[in-house]
Amino acid sequence: MAAAVHDKPPVAEPPLVDAAEIRTAMEYYARQEWTDGLPVVPVTESYLAEFLARTSRDPKDVVLAMPHLNRECTVRLAAINAAMAGCLPEYFPVVLAAWEALDGEGYVTRGIWQSTTGTAPLLIVNGPVRDRIGLNSAGNVFGSGFRANATIGRSIRLTAINVFGLHPHLLDQATQGTPAKYSACIAENEEASPWTPLHVEHGFDPADSTVTAMVIRSVAHIEARHTQVPEQLALDIAWTVGRTGAMVIGTTSAVLVLGPEHAKVFATAGWTKDDLRQFIYDHSASSRADLAAVGKDAISRHTRWRLPAGHPDALPVDASIDPVPALNSPAAVQVMVAGADNAGVSAVVESMGARGNPPSIAKVRDLE
Amino acid sequence: MADGILLERAGVPAVSICTDSFVPAARAMATVYGFPAYEFVTMPHPLASLDQRQIDACARELLPELVRILGVES
Repeated sequence: MAAAVHDKPPVAEPPLVDAAEIRTAMEYYARQEWTDGLPVVPVTESYLAEFLARTSRDPKDVVLAMPHLNRECTVRLAAINAAMAGCLPEYFPVVLAAWEALDGEGYVTRGIWQSTTGTAPLLIVNGPVRDRIGLNSAGNVFGSGFRANATIGRSIRLTAINVFGLHPHLLDQATQGTPAKYSACIAENEEASPWTPLHVEHGFDPADSTVTAMVIRSVAHIEARHTQVPEQLALDIAWTVGRTGAMVIGTTSAVLVLGPEHAKVFATAGWTKDDLRQFIYDHSASSRADLAAVGKDAISRHTRWRLPAGHPDALPVDASIDPVPALNSPAAVQVMVAGADNAGVSAVVESMGARGNPPSIAKVRDLE
Repeated sequence: MADGILLERAGVPAVSICTDSFVPAARAMATVYGFPAYEFVTMPHPLASLDQRQIDACARELLPELVRILGVES
């Protein structure tokens, strides 16, 4: 037996397909501009069929329409772009749930992906599908290294480019964009959370798998390794939520993606998610003087955007409201747990999503 | 661009105006709407931060071009 081992060649067998042929296919896709800039996976009808076999939906079903562009994405087109993004066929039910949640949120269908603001869709996955397809909810959750996270998020971007034609410098007018436009798909670390998971909080069963989708602009991180005092930590978060640079219209909204260590600081002190939300609402307000200092102390009567009180378009200012809330209600803050339990690090996701309404959550179907 | 094109198609005379930073996006949108040769007016960027006096000056400068595209009888 030992001799047989030594008889094996010292290097791997030559590949059956010459890499030049693979590169020819990759470069063809690149020349067609069917890409986010990275190489895409070539798709044939046989590979596409593996994706379509993972759903009971008709390939012609529309998953999202953009009436102002007279374009719509079907199940088939979503599958082609999921395959091109590098998804495995078993990820496809999650991709379809992501489209359902994006459609339900409403910003995308009204053209937000063309805006100079340069937003990205954030997908948050809950439930058993996380383990089933290897979605990362722990260390480096916003980072790289996990195929399901990387490619499910990327499938949305490729579809935006290839189906809706949202190419940068043309129909995508983002001034700067965000790195999240390549891919932004995280899972909640439900096992490390002291609280109810996001989807259960909004009426789903713990055994359900869901995708929550929302339009985001920034992911700002909170470094606070020194404290076990919940008020200190919550103030750090609140002042980040209320930063004036994030103020576009009257109020903003946010998702607190707490690292497990920070979540424990709050839970150990007896804080519920609602306690945290209320504290953030109370302490993220800005003084009228601070808003005036950056020229954002009034609201435009036409666009609802913030502008200086002296501006001809400014609505009259109610000086009795001081400080000025950054949020329209505590419910404008979503709370979830993700990341490794190894440091006092969290993130504030600045979302353009529901400002006090429930987030848009879709159940992952056809998992069996 | 879309609003201008749709108004024109509805029989309402209209001219679209955009700043020069948006010309490629404007042409792309006009093409999506099946009107690649759609004529519009451009002005220097930026617009949103201008004060009333600067806006008025821009409007005066653009007016002849707006009238030309509208095809007003002289």
